[in-house]
Amino acid sequence: MALLHARTLNALGLLGCSAILLVAFGYQFLLGELPCPLCLLQRAAFAASGVGFALNIRFGSRPSHYGVTILSAVAGAVVAGRQVALHVVPGTGGYGSTLMGVHFYTLALIAFVALIGAVGVLLLVGEALRPETRGQHDGWLFGKACLLLFLGIVLANAVSTAAECGGGLCPDDPTHYEALDAWLKDERRLP
Amino acid sequence: MMVLPFIGLAGSAAAALAGRRGIAIGLWLVSLIGTLALLSAHATSALNLNF
Repeated sequence: MALLHARTLNALGLLGCSAILLVAFGYQFLLGELPCPLCLLQRAAFAASGVGFALNIRFGSRPSHYGVTILSAVAGAVVAGRQVALHVVPGTGGYGSTLMGVHFYTLALIAFVALIGAVGVLLLVGEALRPETRGQHDGWLFGKACLLLFLGIVLANAVSTAAECGGGLCPDDPTHYEALDAWLKDERRLP
Repeated sequence: MMVLPFIGLAGSAAAALAGRRGIAIGLWLVSLIGTLALLSAHATSALNLNF
């Protein structure tokens, strides 16, 4: 553990957040499952959690950066918990398909709790990690690549959400990309 | 409205990449508050779906 650099561990955390968002994208585009409003808010919370890791990668590990991740994960857990509660009553159905038999909002709740635990461990072992020295560039290239990937995924989520919901609130039961379809319809009407 | 948190968080990540820590944290905070405000708008919505 002593040989591991804090920046590398934070880059792995950021990769984890990016991977979760990519899996959600996969289900959205490959299986045509449009995200509901609460699903979008959970994605936003994963992106917000990733910002804490991104800050650690760029500026070095600080408790305030871990606070960013923890607060975001708590907000995400509240959203995911709300959605679990919506479907917890037998016979009320669920939203979307499942992964390993578990709905994505349930997996999201587990992931947010795991994220808080992981940050707790990082804070606990922080002193055992190899200390960073000024000007040290170990892991920065890997971290920068992870940061760029994360930025691209968050921007893609922004475009996808704009296509689905436009500038307003999303429908509770989305069936198509409302804003994109409306825009394409207007384009066809133009001479 | 739903797109705003993502725009804010993308700006936050970009600010972090550019070395602007204060702006990155500020945008993150605004985005998180926006996310919670949007949750309050959807907290009572029940999905009327049958699978």
